[in-house]
Amino acid sequence: MLLEAQHLTKTFGEHVAVNAVDLQIEKGSFTALLGPNGAGKSTTMNMLIGLLQPTAGQVTYDHAPKLGVVFQGSVLDDILTVQENLQVRAGQYRHVPADRVTVLSQQLGLTTFMSQRYGTLSGGQRRRVDIARALINEPDILFLDEPTTGLDIQTRLAIWSLVQRLQREKKLTVILTTHYLDEADSADNVVVIDHGRVLARGTAAEIKNRYATDQLTLTSPDVAQLSAQVAQKPTRLTANQIVFSLPTMQTALDILTANRSLISNFEFRPGTMDDAFLALTGKEMR
Amino acid sequence: MLAMIKRNLLLYFRDHSGVFFSLLGALISFILYLVFLKKNMLSSLRQMPDAKILLDTWLIGGTLAITSITTTLSSLALMVTDKEKHIAADLELTDAGPLRLFTSYLISAAVIGALTQLAMFIIMWGGFYLTDGLTLSVTAVLNVLGLMVTSSLLAVVVNAAIVQGVHTVDNLGKLGTIVGTAAGFLVGTYIPIGALPGFAQGMVNFIPGSYVAALYRQFLMDDKLKTAFSGNVTAENAFDRLMGVRLNWSTLLTQQETYLIMGLIFSGAAGLVFGMKWLRIQRRHRFTRER
Repeated sequence: MLLEAQHLTKTFGEHVAVNAVDLQIEKGSFTALLGPNGAGKSTTMNMLIGLLQPTAGQVTYDHAPKLGVVFQGSVLDDILTVQENLQVRAGQYRHVPADRVTVLSQQLGLTTFMSQRYGTLSGGQRRRVDIARALINEPDILFLDEPTTGLDIQTRLAIWSLVQRLQREKKLTVILTTHYLDEADSADNVVVIDHGRVLARGTAAEIKNRYATDQLTLTSPDVAQLSAQVAQKPTRLTANQIVFSLPTMQTALDILTANRSLISNFEFRPGTMDDAFLALTGKEMR
Repeated sequence: MLAMIKRNLLLYFRDHSGVFFSLLGALISFILYLVFLKKNMLSSLRQMPDAKILLDTWLIGGTLAITSITTTLSSLALMVTDKEKHIAADLELTDAGPLRLFTSYLISAAVIGALTQLAMFIIMWGGFYLTDGLTLSVTAVLNVLGLMVTSSLLAVVVNAAIVQGVHTVDNLGKLGTIVGTAAGFLVGTYIPIGALPGFAQGMVNFIPGSYVAALYRQFLMDDKLKTAFSGNVTAENAFDRLMGVRLNWSTLLTQQETYLIMGLIFSGAAGLVFGMKWLRIQRRHRFTRER
């Protein structure tokens, strides 16, 4: 195990931000810490990185790994150019080859704005520079704290495929926090956190299977009769539609075949990460 | 560490309006002095030969001492900004390590302090050369240049000790205003030390900048004082005491003693800031262990 956290706990006064979280991170794995705002994701990550001292519990690395971190906010200087920013950071490390910044700028497609000031870049460009900065020391583990928050969908996809490519090609271990559920979908390992506790863990598919129900929407000329025919309780009823939350696809098929004559149309939607997430964390806003 | 110092200096000098206002902040006491106080001071020194030149050099010394204090303090703001914007967290992940990062903030602040003093010196000397025909000997100029470096280093460690307790840029700005206002009086630039009440005179002796100001005045004024007093030691000592050319403990301090005191303050403050920093680092390290 590359990284292990045992009973990681952090309290701020009365408030328990992270509550006895256990994590095992394998080398080369892709872990997503998923949770709503204020769930304790960033606090957990900061303790893993060593920037925050746990109130209790322990973080253990199996050797001294090189860490790369993409922080939630910008940590580069607005009035310096991309080149200067990266060069300054490169100078802070030992054993960084002289051409590292050039190589990274080509790999991550920064060449067109290397001499532009960081503060004048678009959100997506900044994010790519941030990632380049995190990769300067050729890290073993790349931490990303909500790397795609506030970006448009095109940029999110681009950043996302970049991170996945890095994980594949460089055998990087990636740990990221996000509250975008579709991003967790492609992780090897999803850890759902809320109120500082781990609510669920596993692959995205496992979590969906366990916590997300499938949704069957039926359109019928006689909703009342259809409702009476089906054993399951509908979650929603309108004048001509009836909605069921079902544990499996098989149940849906059974309902459909048994009530064929009463159904004028139907829609079946398998459980998504959204459903699992809402089932786990509730609908309350924070 | 070099990369970091370069970054800090780039950040400072690329912000042109920041540099301008920092210079203006240092100049303002000088300008205010010329406008409001110089005439008054001059009339009280009327019986002295070359009173104008003496007062000019006296003012240059005091202003440079203030500059060393205020510019290093405002340069150290970067340390607080970085902490506030979580840039410090990113920097501490590098191989540079917190102690070297900390040192690089201090060194860049000292460089900025020395360069600003140099700029101020050129501006003031230039101004007085044009108005009063002020000339300085090569020795005086070399000594002054050396003292710019020493005074910056001293001011940086003393300010760093204060800044350790400040966690927001907003508060540091307020502190800067307080220090900027008080400095002119505390190092005896606005009003001669000898004209201050006894309690205030005692306070002046506790301010590291006072020793810097005294040394500047010695370097700039010494040969002029010798001619002005032509060997009248009693009168010269009285003048030195009044104008803060030499600070008064039980007797007037010699140049060596002044340097020694500055050295002691420097070592004490440096020990304090680095010690505090080291303790903080130790405390954090206990929590992340390797297997």
